[in-house]
Amino acid sequence: MNKDRIEEAQAEALEACKAAETPEALEGVRITYLGRKGLLPAMMKGLKGLAPGERAAAGRAANAFKEAVTQALAERRRTLQAPAPVAGGPGADTSLPGRWHRLGSMHPVSRVIEEAVRIFGEVGFTVAEGPDIESAYHNFEALNTPPHHPSLDPQDTFWLDSGELLRTQTSPVQIRVMESRQPPVRVITPGRCYRRDTTDATHSANFHQIEGLHVDENGGSLSDLKGVLAHFAHEMMGPEVGVRFRPHFFPFTEPSVECDFSCHVCGGGGCRVCKFSGWIEIAGAGVVDPRVYAKVGYDAERLSGYAFGMGVERIAMVKYGIEDIRMLYDNDVRFLEQFA
Amino acid sequence: MKVPVSWLRDYVACDAAPETLAERLTFSGTEVEAVTPVEAAFEGVVVGEIRTVAPHPEADRLRICHVYDGRTERPVVCGAPNAAAGVKAPLATAGTRLADGTRVGSAAIRGQVSNGMLCAEDELGISDDHTGIMVLPEDTVPGTPFAELMGGPDSILDIEVTWNRPDCLSIIGIAREVAALFGAELRLPPVDFEEQGEPVEALARVSVDAAAACPRYTARVISDVTLGPGPLWMQRRLMLAGQRPINNVVDITNYVMLETGQPLHAFDYALLEDGRIVVRHARQGEALHTLDGVARPITPEMLMIADARRPVALAGIMGGAGSEIRPDTRRVLLESACFDPGTIRGTVSTLGLSTESAYRYERGVDPAGAEWCSRRAAHLLARHAGGTVAPGVADVYPGQSPPRRIRCRYERVNRVLGVAVPGERVASILETLQIPVVARDASGCTVEAPSFRRDIEIEADLIEEVARLHGLDKIPAALPQARRAPGVSNEAVYAHQACRRSLIGLGLHEIVNYSFVGAEAPSQFDAERRAEWIVLPNPVSADYALLRAMLAPQMVDTLGRNLARQVGTAALFEMGRVFRRKPGTANGETARLCVGLLGPAGRGALDRRRPVEAEEMFLWLKGCIESLGRAQHVPDLSMRPGRTAWLDASWTVEVRSGSHRIGVLGVLAESIRRERRMAEPAAVAELDLDPFVAHAFAAPELRPIPAYPGVARDMALIVDEAVAHETIDGIIRQAAPPELTRVSLFDIFRAEGIGRGRKSLAYTLYYRSAERTLTDEDANGYMARVKEALRKALNVEIRETQ
Repeated sequence: MNKDRIEEAQAEALEACKAAETPEALEGVRITYLGRKGLLPAMMKGLKGLAPGERAAAGRAANAFKEAVTQALAERRRTLQAPAPVAGGPGADTSLPGRWHRLGSMHPVSRVIEEAVRIFGEVGFTVAEGPDIESAYHNFEALNTPPHHPSLDPQDTFWLDSGELLRTQTSPVQIRVMESRQPPVRVITPGRCYRRDTTDATHSANFHQIEGLHVDENGGSLSDLKGVLAHFAHEMMGPEVGVRFRPHFFPFTEPSVECDFSCHVCGGGGCRVCKFSGWIEIAGAGVVDPRVYAKVGYDAERLSGYAFGMGVERIAMVKYGIEDIRMLYDNDVRFLEQFA
Repeated sequence: MKVPVSWLRDYVACDAAPETLAERLTFSGTEVEAVTPVEAAFEGVVVGEIRTVAPHPEADRLRICHVYDGRTERPVVCGAPNAAAGVKAPLATAGTRLADGTRVGSAAIRGQVSNGMLCAEDELGISDDHTGIMVLPEDTVPGTPFAELMGGPDSILDIEVTWNRPDCLSIIGIAREVAALFGAELRLPPVDFEEQGEPVEALARVSVDAAAACPRYTARVISDVTLGPGPLWMQRRLMLAGQRPINNVVDITNYVMLETGQPLHAFDYALLEDGRIVVRHARQGEALHTLDGVARPITPEMLMIADARRPVALAGIMGGAGSEIRPDTRRVLLESACFDPGTIRGTVSTLGLSTESAYRYERGVDPAGAEWCSRRAAHLLARHAGGTVAPGVADVYPGQSPPRRIRCRYERVNRVLGVAVPGERVASILETLQIPVVARDASGCTVEAPSFRRDIEIEADLIEEVARLHGLDKIPAALPQARRAPGVSNEAVYAHQACRRSLIGLGLHEIVNYSFVGAEAPSQFDAERRAEWIVLPNPVSADYALLRAMLAPQMVDTLGRNLARQVGTAALFEMGRVFRRKPGTANGETARLCVGLLGPAGRGALDRRRPVEAEEMFLWLKGCIESLGRAQHVPDLSMRPGRTAWLDASWTVEVRSGSHRIGVLGVLAESIRRERRMAEPAAVAELDLDPFVAHAFAAPELRPIPAYPGVARDMALIVDEAVAHETIDGIIRQAAPPELTRVSLFDIFRAEGIGRGRKSLAYTLYYRSAERTLTDEDANGYMARVKEALRKALNVEIRETQ
């Protein structure tokens, strides 16, 4: 068989591969062309009878034949072996519910705290914790609260028979941190707090706060405070959210400010969430009052620092659109599972 | 504090719109919560003069008044008891809309024509008084539009005054802020009057026996007063500010308090024994009826105003009924004093009695201003109550102190604010706030704190003034600079987060309950440790009477509440603190973990209909805690049968880490779940949290991956029901060679054919060698040893399968 004949046979063999509809038929094709008694061995034998000039060309053609047919057979075999797509065929219902482990969920209060830990963690704040049952000294006196301030009233604070109290804020943790460490201090203090509020849609006798404290020999100014709260606003509520300060009063900071975030829902135009003001009151903050440093033995002259505090439930309500704080303590599974 | 804008403008030359005032005040720290417009009211209402009064022929309680409206007389039917000839009163003409929205008509009332209506205060929306028609001063001119008497449209600023700024509990105080904000002039009202008659020393003697509680007491005596209604404009202002007019003398004391922030009290001089005022603490056994008619239980720490014989007022809070102003009062002793905030606060809190006066004293009143305010009130009493003011003032001033001098360093201002405010700007801000600058140089200035600014004590207080007047919006937000404080770590917090995420990964929903529980909530759970419960002395309600000593009771309630809402499947956890009183030591708090399972929470989707059984609930929960233990690397987590009051005795284990008992888990006691209408078993675990977070990030001890294949052999053991899996597992492990890598229970089977009281447990045993490939003969040998040991130890029938 000369080169031309071989090439003809190759075309014919490739056609036969394509035409084979079953693995058995394909095996027949293989036997016909490549089998021990098939065309290829005959071809190789026939090379000897060719003129030397033709023999080389025919030899190359025969090799090409072998390679091409082997490959075509393999390809066709793979195609024939693949299962036929039988969508909706009997016994195969892909719409059945999948099998997977149930998903749990994180409580919105924990979500907000964990996010805050991350957000403040990114700018160097670590977490400090303290007891829920506090001394009056740490909760009030060390924080420069005047001795006749209304917050000390048994109407507002849960005093215990031991003379201790349930902390009304997490600020006492800041005092504990400053008592035990030297500056620089950069902490946030998430935790549970208690006030004798009558429970309604926005008040709860039991709630959570995140407070922060940054005291340093350089930095720690009102401008730095604004920057840190702006960072928090962007990360927690969205990159478009802005912050503004209003002067206020807290015993342990001076100047004291209240911090509003621009409304993440309407962008400041006014909506139900922001009570049509465009702004949402989020945090109380200020520059640490030097009288607080005196209580913990810090040198107020060398230092400057700021502190801030905010309500976790408040942020959760604003962020997730929860209208009643009691939902957060009701623990209805149908509410919780939405936070998966 | 309600501030009518028209009143405010008496003291400051600023004509900015109310909304602008509100905005500027709010952003300088005086928060205006609302701006309420007062409509131009009283359209159609004029001053009417009753000329004659005749009985109504058809009705006993009605009368026919002939009312002169400035042009003509008209008949008006009126039922008020005080309608009498000569009285001037507001006359609503036909068409006038009254406060409740009804329109005055011209109609016949029981057959008599009534053309208009004589109005009581409530009908005009002035107050809720409906005792009679509103009697206007005699000198009012009939026909005058009523609106002219009462003032035109106005706006009320509702201001939230912070604790540190009692000076802003006054119209003048707010005017001072407005003057500073707008660069406008502050105008103080007149305080002049003529003095006549006997000098005050001849009439009144004041002594202060409790100097610490009363830094200053001033008294003036005003004679020949005529009690009557106060001037209408004053009544109107009091009403706009939220106070009810009473009579001219009392109205003036209230008016000056709102104007200046200085509470004043007027005594009927004739009712003060010996004209004596003694400021002293109460004596044992004394009693006082305050002018609201209540007998007050007074105690020695309370500060009293007494005369020569007895207490006549609760100092700074409320006068006594025995010395109050009466219709026949002719001579008034006017008190303008300063009392110690803490003393007033204590009494307010003990008696549960607060007043406008007490509210101001609790926050601090300026002693230096007391005498000026007394003059202001005397000025008004002379004018509007016909009084003559006795020469002089009785003034006892033990608390006088020189003004504080405070240095304000410009560098410190810039350091604290983080923005450069020029020195001259700092000084000028302080001056516009009426804080006098007494010295200045390149690096700072020295000021004298004004007596009315009790809050300004140190440099930081001045920096705050600069910040709020300079404008917080002018302070830029600095880009945060991350910097680690040395020696601190967040690892513990991340360990808690990891634990929470492991629990969530196990399919549990996190819950958060209050730290408070009802007084008897834990009694089924923890009664034997009742002595450790921490009881709140002043709970908000009976449902929140205790601090929780464990988490399980609330977990059970949460499961029950969900079930009641047709949520029959719940898998929940809570991480939280519990509180116990430890005898002889401080109150203790511990972090705990509680897990609760209700319904077929662990089963696959197609297997939720069968009723759940105690065993499977127990096993789901056990597996859950074991998995958590693995995820959080709890060392040597083990469980052994245990007992606790609130769990089913058959299905309770205590959980250990090493030799430490860290809690219990099991199936809820039937009595507890029945009470919450749970028909099926539920499982609850209560554990210490610390073991689950202490090793969260422990590095694993790596073992090499096996090089040789292993062999597995199955066998089924038919044993008595009483034989525990743990026992079989133990025997196998003891008998098998080190090549045994795992024992796995894969089936439990009970049937008639096996025998009553017997069960079949099927195990797979896995063997593997680290040195070679094990042969069938090896495995057969191992199994023979295991079976031998089992037969020796137990009444067992063994069936081996390949």
